[in-house]
Amino acid sequence: MEALVEMKNIRKEFSGVVALDSVSFDVRPGEVHLLLGENGAGKSTLMKILSGIYTPTKGTILLGGNEFSELSPKKSKEMGISIIYQELSVVNDLSIAENLFVGKLPTKKWLSAIPVVDKAAYMKKAEETAKRVGLTKPVTTNVGQLSISEKQLVEIAKALVENSKLLVMDEPTSSLTEEETKNLFKIINELRSSGIGIVYISHKMKELKEIGDRVTVLKDGKTVGTKDMADIHSEEEIISMMVGRELQKTFFGEKDVEYTPENIVFKAEHISRKDGKTKDISFELYKGEVLGVAGLVGAGRTELMNAFFAGESYEKGDIWLNGKKVPVGTPYTSIKNGIAMITENRRETGIFPNFGIKENLVLVNRLLKSKWGGFYGAIHPKWDQELAEKEREEMQVKCSSLAQMITELSGGNQQKVIVGKWMAANAEMIIFDEPTKGIDIGTKTEMYRIMRELAQKGIGVIMISSEMPELLGICDRIMVLNDGRLKGILNKDEVTEEKILQTATM
Amino acid sequence: MKENVKVFKTYWEKFGTLAIFVVMWCIFAVVAPPTFRSGSNFIQIITQSATIMLLACGEFFAILIAGIDLSIGSIVAFTGMITAKLMVEFGVNPFLAFLLGAVLGGLLCGFINGTLINLTGVHPFIITLGTQSVFRALTLIISNAQATFGMPKVFLQTFGGLLHGVSMAIVIAMIVAVSCWFVTTKLTFGRNLYVLGGNRDAAWFSGIHVKKHVLAVHTISGLCAGICGAVMAARLGAAEPNTSIGAETEAIAAAIIGGTSFFGGKGKIPNVIVGALILGLISNGLNMCSVPTFYQNLATGLLLIAAVSLDQAIARK
Repeated sequence: MEALVEMKNIRKEFSGVVALDSVSFDVRPGEVHLLLGENGAGKSTLMKILSGIYTPTKGTILLGGNEFSELSPKKSKEMGISIIYQELSVVNDLSIAENLFVGKLPTKKWLSAIPVVDKAAYMKKAEETAKRVGLTKPVTTNVGQLSISEKQLVEIAKALVENSKLLVMDEPTSSLTEEETKNLFKIINELRSSGIGIVYISHKMKELKEIGDRVTVLKDGKTVGTKDMADIHSEEEIISMMVGRELQKTFFGEKDVEYTPENIVFKAEHISRKDGKTKDISFELYKGEVLGVAGLVGAGRTELMNAFFAGESYEKGDIWLNGKKVPVGTPYTSIKNGIAMITENRRETGIFPNFGIKENLVLVNRLLKSKWGGFYGAIHPKWDQELAEKEREEMQVKCSSLAQMITELSGGNQQKVIVGKWMAANAEMIIFDEPTKGIDIGTKTEMYRIMRELAQKGIGVIMISSEMPELLGICDRIMVLNDGRLKGILNKDEVTEEKILQTATM
Repeated sequence: MKENVKVFKTYWEKFGTLAIFVVMWCIFAVVAPPTFRSGSNFIQIITQSATIMLLACGEFFAILIAGIDLSIGSIVAFTGMITAKLMVEFGVNPFLAFLLGAVLGGLLCGFINGTLINLTGVHPFIITLGTQSVFRALTLIISNAQATFGMPKVFLQTFGGLLHGVSMAIVIAMIVAVSCWFVTTKLTFGRNLYVLGGNRDAAWFSGIHVKKHVLAVHTISGLCAGICGAVMAARLGAAEPNTSIGAETEAIAAAIIGGTSFFGGKGKIPNVIVGALILGLISNGLNMCSVPTFYQNLATGLLLIAAVSLDQAIARK
């Protein structure tokens, strides 16, 4: 059968970093093609090339008998490709019918001269399409009143209105209940039998067998292989295709961590959030260890940390740092008591772009030295200078001077300044949330070394990461979260990528 | 080449506003009648700018944390009226009236602004737009839309008179400006505001209590407006319920011309003072050239746009 779309030898580089390397991928009419791979394997990059958002560095896309070296979002749409992202793009303030025809409302000529919106025509078409995807609510309902699964159906209907031949669904079931998932599968089956090709991206191993016809696995920007689902007999087969890459250098401590009560640096008990994103999690962090936190996006890793660090949506639970009970309140109280958190989005919640390196290094230290909750205290330029110089030395920040703006530094160096800021604030425990996101390999290695050194000094180190090799390479133990629950803590001697995935999806 | 641009940028950030002031003064020195160049006229310019300086100092704090305060004009009228009423109708001692009406009144108005912003989470623009009407209406209600006359001489002299030939308004404006400068440069609180203005989310994760600082900022802004209210009443010799309508726009203009970033985190009190002086200079110079008032507004408006555009252009280099 001729393919709907065929992507051949696609390569994509981002300023020298290879994200995709000779990846080939095709979708036939009337099939559900599973696209699998870990975070960062290149799935979204590939799909963004298909939707015309990214331009491939090399490679061709065969589409409707034409060969393209690149697509534009408009072209991609014209050729019948629709993508439903995890973050749905429906307009909440419009009705279902209006959503289906956003930007393409049919018109008729009023008094055979003035074009006006042909409401009767689009209402009829909307009703038909809504029925086809199983939307039971009237099409005049505001989309804002619909549930997430219904909104998803609106997105599918939108694609049908556009006469899409190819539908890409990015983790469509991640926020659906079992019942809703069943319903979605029913609709996918109908679409399939009407000849539409579907690319299905998911992390849920269980549903793959049920819905997929073929599977393609990506790893580190390369195709591992494409197989018929009929030839695959177990989840393990897929998992072993996804993992099993060469392990990177490891960064373990010289001495084994002693898991004895007197070596506990930090302890959390029964942490729960009001919004349910953390459910009764308890764990301990020992002296000298780097504790990893694994889990898929949405598992509640950052939410757990925010609950006790910033008091975000905090419901209950207690924390102890070096034997001393710490109240859960605001970041200020946590920092005052020695807990620091390095957030995931460096640009949004880490650096202060209006300042130079010096200010960025000393500001928390200054805050802690001040009275009245950080309000009242004098500025000592000399102390600040000395402190900043010491931290720059220690963190080996590469910069022309301490007055240099932080925005002029590379991502890795910015990250070092942020770590330096917490070291200057005498943190006793640092939570790193995706510390190596968007920084180059060299600096990554340096970050690992820094984390390891901190652990050696007796500072508690927690690292949240989506990169398995990195977790396996430096963590002494790995906590696996899923859906706000702690699924298990794996020791470095027993942990493998397969085991983490299995624990998460258990 | 690139280094030169960088050096220029640093100098521009420090002395750009002053340069604008000097250039404008030179232009007027050539165009306007000779009396413009006299020393006494220079003092006149400063005196004219005193009330804008007071308001601009408070407004600076609000803009520094990427907020705004639109209610200060109304606070001036409100606190001025209370201060006058306390003295005239209740016979309160002038200094006590100043403390209760201007200082406490201003603090309270600002405190209300800050509390509303924190409680509702609505942008300060909208909250202070609302309180602008509320404070003005309260002023009209308590005064029955009538001006209050007959304030004691001591009060008029202390807040509107001269001290060794220098206007008291200037003395007060300078005391406030120096205090604000001290707070923003020498205290943790002031530095926290730059941190907050630079990146509010990062500030929160770095342990800065955002809401407390927002409250403090608006309270300070209210205090500056309150002091300005007393000065205004003393200078006019009467508390006018309709005084200082639109004064907040001048205060914002002074802060912005003084290089304060509207996105927060950047700006310096001395430059804001010079920004206020520039506004005074324009109105004084054009008056000297017998240009009608509405042309003065035109000049102020164009200068505001020009100064900020220039700032942007240099920042992007």
